[in-house]
Formats: sequence, structure tokens, C-alpha cells
Amino acid sequence: MNQYASLLIALPLFSAFFIPILKRISKNAVMPFLAFVTLIQTGIAALVFKEVYTTGKPIIVLAGGFKPPVGINLYIGHFAALFVLVIAAVSFLMALFSIKAVSIEPKDKYAMLFLLLMLGATGMISTGDIFNLFVFMEITAISAYALTAYNKTGEASEAALKYVVLGGVGSSFFLVGIALIYGSLGTLNMAHIAQLAGLINPTAAKVGLALLIFGLAVEAEQFPLNAWAPDAYQEAPHPVTAMFSAFVVKASLYAIGRILYILSAAEGWSSILRLLIILGTLTVILGEMSALRQTNVKRMFAYSSIAQVGLIAVGLALGTAAGVSASVFHMFNHAIVKALMFLAVGYVAVELGGAEIDKFEGLGKRMPVTAFAITVGAISIIGIPLFNVFWSKIQLILAALSAQYTWVVALILGASLVEATYYIRLIHAIWFKGEGEKVKENTVLVLAMLLLAALIIVVGIYPEPFWDIMQKAGSDIFDVAQYVKNVPLMGVNP
Amino acid sequence: MNPYYFASIALILIGFYAVLVKRNVIKMLVGLSIMETGVNLLLISVGYVSGKSAPILSEGITPDKAVDPIPQALVLTAIVIGVATTALALSVVINLYEKYKTLNVEEIRRLRG
Repeated sequence: MNQYASLLIALPLFSAFFIPILKRISKNAVMPFLAFVTLIQTGIAALVFKEVYTTGKPIIVLAGGFKPPVGINLYIGHFAALFVLVIAAVSFLMALFSIKAVSIEPKDKYAMLFLLLMLGATGMISTGDIFNLFVFMEITAISAYALTAYNKTGEASEAALKYVVLGGVGSSFFLVGIALIYGSLGTLNMAHIAQLAGLINPTAAKVGLALLIFGLAVEAEQFPLNAWAPDAYQEAPHPVTAMFSAFVVKASLYAIGRILYILSAAEGWSSILRLLIILGTLTVILGEMSALRQTNVKRMFAYSSIAQVGLIAVGLALGTAAGVSASVFHMFNHAIVKALMFLAVGYVAVELGGAEIDKFEGLGKRMPVTAFAITVGAISIIGIPLFNVFWSKIQLILAALSAQYTWVVALILGASLVEATYYIRLIHAIWFKGEGEKVKENTVLVLAMLLLAALIIVVGIYPEPFWDIMQKAGSDIFDVAQYVKNVPLMGVNP
Repeated sequence: MNPYYFASIALILIGFYAVLVKRNVIKMLVGLSIMETGVNLLLISVGYVSGKSAPILSEGITPDKAVDPIPQALVLTAIVIGVATTALALSVVINLYEKYKTLNVEEIRRLRG
């Protein structure tokens, strides 16, 4: 067995508890330690990724050696291996950024919460048990609430309060959903649920699934429950905003996709697909419309992020393998692009003292590399060819056409048009307006931004190898029969 | 039909009503707690079998004479999570009150748009 994969959970957890001890030894060691831990996590994640993609088999970690459904298992398949790597890598870059961007004490608490946020998202993606998913979701959510309020301003507390109230309602919904499914099937293991899904009471399946989706929709920023997102994005410390957008949302979207497809054998399942596609569409429309009238760039990016997340949900709800793969591709691209853009915007806000759009005038002359990074990200997210998001939008359109949702094509194209409007306005302000003194840019952050920008362009020019990986990751979610076969259920395949 | 289900769903709805309608932040958090209690009661009643004993193996109690222990384990976890959320929310409210000098959600509206 490849038990070393359990380090993905254990390492951030133990490191988080080690930080108070470290703080007693040396206060200045906390932030470098954070970067060091995330670097090791990236290394482990890269090993896991290599192992899963070379052998083609998922890594399954059994807690305490008990076979599921008695014991809890971690399931690191193609999707989880890919996204655990994305999470760890983005966390590493953001830990580097935190050294520069976070100046408010207590930094040791910040580092602990940072690690717990990473742990929660990793756990949500790799768990194979629906209640364990809830626990990891709450770890993510509680550390996210605390990090939102970290700046201790009135606005930050206001944003955190909105987040706590919505998150609390969402987690109650989620638990009621678990109660319904457990009451009907008597199991909490995802593979076991998938195996028994045909026997479930149709009403319990429909109501339970809808409640689970509503519960996850808070973290996944789907329409009726995403009012917290722009506020929290605007007020959270800059590295945390990038983490929210790059992987906290993605973990919840994955959970929606996984729970949706393990119950695909249940009667009346397609009505839940319709529910999710409607939620996703409304999310896209409202997100793009609100992004148009923002004057704070961080808030504008937050709304843009919400709109992209809506597109991912629409892709997951198409109900075809192509749709899920396209969604996974879009998740991956969006994670890179938004990590880059929030990193750049946060850096501008740290250097120039705010993220209002007038601060960005003349940025091309003041901070050329940062301006270049924002431009690459903006052009990419609009969907211009030779940049990565173009390919995932194309795949989403093709998947929608083959699933005969013609209006989804119109939705994606319309969204791209609106994005073009507000991003080109920003690019115009950056390069063609204003003057200013040149600011010396931090070498580490410049390297991080150039790395992410290079990745965007590489995926844009050579999409095929990445698309192969995404298709494997997508079928990991979509192909439930294979999922059930991979998990060593007690008494089924000894 | 099990009467516990009605009681727990009533509790959830009362809590949800308080979250939606009350204008005082503390009352909203009380509503949230009531909702969590309702959910916990629902989980317990899913595993409840009338006339059976607590799931502790001891003399005269065999597995077929006890209620389902899994929901009880789940509820223990859910209670801990609920406590953490409530504590965090209250500390946020303390900071909010220091900065805004009010607990009325209609006046706590600096972020909008």
C-alpha cells in the first residue's frame, strides 16, 4: 500500500500544531517555515501525481487498516492527484507572497489557519467518505471565516459575519442531506453509496441530493448562496483571496460533481442535473453583470471568478463525460489564471496602497512585470486563442453542443463578451493612462508571476497533453462503475 | 411516522426563520444554533430504534439490542463543529460591535455593489 499519501493530510496538520512551539523559539521563523512546509507538501503531491498517472491506478489509504465501509478511506484517483498538486503548488506560491503581503500580527495564527485551509481543501478532494467530506468542508470553512476576518477592520468582520451565517446555514443543509441519504441507504462510504444507489428511495435521493448541493453551494459560490464571496474576496488578506479562488471553490465544486455522479443510478436524478444547470447559469449571468460596474479591481476579479465558477457548474451538470472533462479543464485553467491575477492585484494593492481602478492607471510604467502578468491573465480569461482558457471554453462549448444544450453555447460566448468589456477597460487603464515613478518589484514575486504566466501560455500553445490528463481526471468523476471497482469494499472484492 | 422527525424539522425551520428575519446579529446566531440543534436531533432520530438500548456493549446488551451508533458518532462531531463556528462567529461580532457600535444588520452595510 502507498500509505505515504496520507502525509498529504498529516503533514499540514502536524505542522499547524507545531507553529506555536516554533513561535516560542523564534518569531521570525514562522513565515519561512510556512513556505517550507508547503514546499514539502508540493513535493509529496508531485510524487503522488507521478505515481497515479504512471500506474493509472488510484492510491487508496485505509484509516487504521479497516476496509470500507467500516473504516474511512482516502481515494486519490486521477482527479485528486491532479488537484492536490494544484493546491500544494498554489499554496507554496501564496506562502511566498504572504511573507511580503501579511504584516499584521499575529502571524503565527495566520500561518496555522493557512495550513488548515490547505489541509481542508486537500481532504475534501481526497476523501472517500461523505461525512468525512463534511468534516473537511468545515475545517476549510472555519479557517476561511477566520482568515477573512484576519485584517481586523470593520469591513473584514462584516464580510466574515456574512460568510459565517451563510456557511452555517449551508452546513446544516448538508447535514440534513447526509441524514436523508444515511437513513435511506445505511452507509456513508461514497463507493458503497454508488453501489447501492439503485435501491435508494427516489424522494430521499432527490431531496437529499438537492440539500447536499445547496450545502456545498456556499463554498462553491453558486447563485443563491454566494453573497458572501465578493465581500470576503475584497477584505481577506491578498494571498488568502487567491487561495479561495484557486482551490477552495474548486474543492467544493469537485464535491458537488462527485456526490452528483455517485448517485446517478437513483431515480429522478436528471431533475437534480437541471437544478444545478439553472443555478450555474444564474451564477454566470449575475456574476458577469455585477463585475461590469465594479470600481475596485479585487472585487471585479471576485465577480469574474464567480462567473467562471458558474460555467464550471454548468459543465458538471451537462451529464456527459465530455462535459465533466471540460469542467475539470476549466477548473485547472481557472486555478492558474486566478492565482496569477489575485497575486498580481494583491501585490499592486500592497505596493500602491489599494486596489481601486485609479491605482492601476500607469501601472505599465510603474510595475511592468506585474502589469504584464495581469494582462496575460485578463487576455486568457476572456478566451483569446493561444491562451489556456480558450481551450477549456472550446471544450465546454463542444460538450454543450453534443449534449444538445445550444443555449449554453450562447451563455459562454455572451459571458466572454462581457468579460472582454471590463478586462479591456482595465488593460487600457494599465497601459495607456497615467504616469508614475517606477517601483522596484520583488524578485521572488516576479519569478512566481512569470512562472504562472508561462504556464498559461504553455497550456495555451500545447493543450493536447494537458487535455489528456484532464480527460482522465474527468472520467475519474464520471465513471462511477470504475470508482466502485477501485475501492476495496468489505465483502465485495476481498 | 416518527414524532422526532417533526420536532427536528420544526426546530430547523424555527432556526432558519430566525436567521432570515431577525435584524439583530446575536439573534441570527442564536437561530443558527437552533438550526444546528434541529439537525443533530434529526441525525439521532434517523438511527433511533424504539425500545432499544444505548450502543454500549455491556452485560445483556448485544448488537441487536442497541440503536445504530453511527449517527451518534456523527452528532458528536457535528456538535464540536457547531461550537467552533459559534465561538468564532461571536468573536467576529465582538470586533464588529467595536467598529460599528451597532448590532443591527441593516446598519452594518459598508460593503456593497
